Amino acid sequence: MLIEIEKKSQTYQFEANAGEKLLYAGLRAGIPLPFECATGTCGSCKARVTQGEVDEGWSEAPGKERFKVVKREILMCQCSAQSDCSLSVPTKIVAFRDDDINPDHHIGVITQYEKLTEDVLRFNVEIPTNISFHAGQFFVLQAPEVNGFRAYSMVNYSPGTNQLEFIIKQNPHGGLSKWIFDSDRTQEKLELFGPLGHATFHPDESHDLFMIAGGSGIAGLMSILEYGRQVNYFKNRKVSLFFGVRTPADFFFAERLRAVKAQFPDTVSINIAFSNAPPTAEQLSSNDGLIYLQGMVHEHALPAVLEGGGNVMHYLAGPGPMVDALIRPLILKSKIPVHRVRYDKFS
Amino acid sequence: MSWKAACPVSDVKQDTLKECTIDGIEILLANVGDGFRAYPPVCPHMEQYLEGSGICANNVMTCDRHLWQWDMKTGEPLGPAEKPLLIYQTKEVNGQLMVFLDKELEYDFDDDDD
Repeated sequence: MLIEIEKKSQTYQFEANAGEKLLYAGLRAGIPLPFECATGTCGSCKARVTQGEVDEGWSEAPGKERFKVVKREILMCQCSAQSDCSLSVPTKIVAFRDDDINPDHHIGVITQYEKLTEDVLRFNVEIPTNISFHAGQFFVLQAPEVNGFRAYSMVNYSPGTNQLEFIIKQNPHGGLSKWIFDSDRTQEKLELFGPLGHATFHPDESHDLFMIAGGSGIAGLMSILEYGRQVNYFKNRKVSLFFGVRTPADFFFAERLRAVKAQFPDTVSINIAFSNAPPTAEQLSSNDGLIYLQGMVHEHALPAVLEGGGNVMHYLAGPGPMVDALIRPLILKSKIPVHRVRYDKFS
Repeated sequence: MSWKAACPVSDVKQDTLKECTIDGIEILLANVGDGFRAYPPVCPHMEQYLEGSGICANNVMTCDRHLWQWDMKTGEPLGPAEKPLLIYQTKEVNGQLMVFLDKELEYDFDDDDD
């Protein structure tokens, strides 16, 4: 089916397959349609159907709050076409970077499956072709028995790979999360679409990095650390990471973080904040290079932010409420220019 | 259309945003210290409703979605914002905030060239 989006300067056209989400069809065709979560919760991919018939998909999607039925407002990430359609999109259609990577559909196989803590799993998905993604990007994943895509950032970084590494937190009420925790899913198949997301790291930008993560939000930041490590970025550039989890038992990726610190002891600072318990005596007396703290991660991170930002790029990654709680003080108190803050919010 | 009463001026506190609907038109009200402003309710970037996502301080509004910012008095864009806020005329009469509603102000999203 042919989808048309008319703007004054040009008309965009793309083909959408039966049942394919309009957002994914457009992005796949190289049209930089607006989106953030790509999974129905944020509302960024709003469009109005001016002609044609659509299947709206998830009718209670949180992103549809205040959408107007009379204007035929839809979420492109949930909606598929039932005929040729014309849409109007209430924002500018503009590429984020010149080296944006066109996302596509893949079928992958889970090849590694490992519990990192009581409620965090790490798994690898192998896809049939090698692809590239920017450090910090995510894919949306859908399990065969579960309807609906969910977004997960890649943990790994490799320019050209068929391996995508993810972590996922247990959510008994979640779709994919419940499915993957129910039993060892090695060798099971997943549908994937990506890469997606703009909270990315690009060495040519030459910033110091200030990164704040809560829980499984650490995933995309691990990818950024890995890329920076591979290209020796931290030889000349500083990075401060604040990683918040509930208790010492919830802390994962300790070995990987210690390895980054050991490779660049003078420029890398890694702070682990436990919200619900003090660090262990072993952690406090260890010489592993990591700094262990008690308290909410933002309470420790915000005082360490340099007022005015300097030449620093700030990355926020974690639950939506954590990201929201950080943006306000960063802009109002620390006076960080808004172009020096990057985040993708998809929980 | 003409001057319409929005709400008592005391309902619109500085550094906050208040939405109201007049004759079916949604309006966002703000107090800029020495007066009031009335805007369309959404961000001119991606139609995010600003009553929930607008952060106000020192007469600068920031949309927490993609961090577009404006001078609240003039509506002029600051920082990464690419479009101004549209502004309705307002006045105060007997403690009521009045908005001049000639027609609904709406952002033009069809031009990709600017």
